[in-house]
Amino acid sequence: MGTVQIRNARKSYGSVEVLHGVSIDIEEGEFVALVGPSGCGKSTLLRMIAGLEEITSGHILIGDRIVNDVAPKDRDIAMVFQNYALYPHKNVRDNMGFALRQRRVSRDEINVRVTEAARILGLEELLDRKPRALSGGQRQRVAMGRAIVRDPNVFLFDEPLSNLDAKLRVQMRSEIKELHQRLKTTTIYVTHDQIEAMTLADRVVVMNSGVIEQAGPPLELYDNPATLFVAAFIGSPPMNFFEGDLVGGTGLVMGDGTRLALPEADPKGRQRATVGVRAEHFDLAEKGWPATVSVVEPTGSETLVMARLAGDVVRVLIRGRTAVQPGETIHLRPQRGSLHFFDAAPVPEVAQMEDVA
Amino acid sequence: MSQARKRRPIGQTLRIVGGVMVSIIFLFPVYWMVLTSFKQQVDIFTSPPTFWFEPTIAAYAEYMTRADILPRLINTVVVATLSALFSIIVGTMAGYALARIQIRGAATFGALILLSRGVPPIALAVPMFLVARNLGLTDQHITLILAYSTFLVPYVMWLMRSFFLSLPRELEESAMIDGCSRYGAFFKIILPISLPGLLSTLIFSMILAWEELLFALVLTNRNASTIPVAIAGIAGDTVNGANWAALTAVGTITVVPVVIFALLVQKWLIKGLADGATKG
Repeated sequence: MGTVQIRNARKSYGSVEVLHGVSIDIEEGEFVALVGPSGCGKSTLLRMIAGLEEITSGHILIGDRIVNDVAPKDRDIAMVFQNYALYPHKNVRDNMGFALRQRRVSRDEINVRVTEAARILGLEELLDRKPRALSGGQRQRVAMGRAIVRDPNVFLFDEPLSNLDAKLRVQMRSEIKELHQRLKTTTIYVTHDQIEAMTLADRVVVMNSGVIEQAGPPLELYDNPATLFVAAFIGSPPMNFFEGDLVGGTGLVMGDGTRLALPEADPKGRQRATVGVRAEHFDLAEKGWPATVSVVEPTGSETLVMARLAGDVVRVLIRGRTAVQPGETIHLRPQRGSLHFFDAAPVPEVAQMEDVA
Repeated sequence: MSQARKRRPIGQTLRIVGGVMVSIIFLFPVYWMVLTSFKQQVDIFTSPPTFWFEPTIAAYAEYMTRADILPRLINTVVVATLSALFSIIVGTMAGYALARIQIRGAATFGALILLSRGVPPIALAVPMFLVARNLGLTDQHITLILAYSTFLVPYVMWLMRSFFLSLPRELEESAMIDGCSRYGAFFKIILPISLPGLLSTLIFSMILAWEELLFALVLTNRNASTIPVAIAGIAGDTVNGANWAALTAVGTITVVPVVIFALLVQKWLIKGLADGATKG
């Protein structure tokens, strides 16, 4: 049974608690991504599921068994590490067969399963090579091969794509998704890259400072972020935020006195709010929020326009192409139903990390 | 332009010259020792020193047939090999524990063991002798092996500890998820990877034990005495005066096995040293 239940799991190092009571129920065959900035506790949680870190309090169940005190080797899991952790003295075949050999599977059976995994991952030609004779992408595949020959209850991925260059990362991302659709093994995938989380997972769990901010299907998080943090973290380009006093229902008066007309009122009727609008939810109109264009970035299918509004940068995504020029003043009108209202607060400094690593 | 490209960069030339000079400084005494061992007494004291002389193996012939040299050579081999092997086994496991397993006070413990290396051997020699005498263990191989282990185990432990620290932790974690216990991960994954480092540490340990004089002098007498003791005896012969040909001949015999050994395992020696230093 490939279900994983995490019940109020906490982790402390000495007197410092880094994970403050996290609960998640993961269903059989589900692909769950744990995503968040570095230091949010996502890797710690994954390592607790793997049995590499002790669970300070709370329970973790794999299937219907509490595994708190079960050794990693007895949890029936497979893990892919960021640095792959291939055994440097073993060739690809033996790397992939090692776990089966530990479980005293017969030599013939090992051979069949390694060959099959190698075929799925396109590693047939490389079976006799040592890891040092492989490229980064090939090593990554071997690490995945090592996991899939096991046919475990749960796959654990710890930032498996971070060491690859951008192009290979996108390619391997599709391969991982395809692999999951084919094997349907429960998967828990840790990443700091929200795009990776969004594109791969059935359900995304956004973590921050040792707590879960929000968990849900990717588009639900995108459309209905529960917190300012999630709103700022999910989405690229990032959401635009405007903080100010809500006046007369649909007026937002910002710090410098600029008054923006909102297409709708805050359903919670706050006095002060931080209002979020996604870049693609602006229309260019005759009348609207005046902004001065600073940069225009055409990518062909769409154009990203950066403009200044009351001292803040506003990102506007326009489908197709535009004649807008830098220096020009444009008028932005947020689409009806596109506003996100949050309690007034500074926007969290969320590093958009897709360019890093 | 093409000429400039052919010329070696000045920095490289300087490095080569420097390297050669350092090599000469280190190798010349060895060369002189070997040379002297083939000289006759008259050639040894010629001034200025001569490189050209009629070689003789008289010194070798004399000392190889003397009753006390061959047994001492065998003693040296036995004691150096066994103490190095023992220290490798104990020190490697201790080094692994210090590198990887969270033990309360491990850092203090490790530092204390290292501190024991700071004590001058002469300060330990006398107590060690008294202990050995009270246990009735003087002049026995086991005594020297244990005595050498007191400095070899910390040495191995610290070298191997830093070597293990340079290996990514995920290797063992991966092995443990793949079905190994901590011990299994250590023996099946970590040890095979560490073989170059292990081998170079073993060689250095053997050399340290091979050339050790003080403990051998204090703790042994006849049965378990080693070659360095013999050399010291020849050098300090107050009755006949130092026999330089004999001294250098025995010295050469002592050094040659170490050199041959080091040359044989050179490939791993260099790999081991480099691995430990640079692997991130």
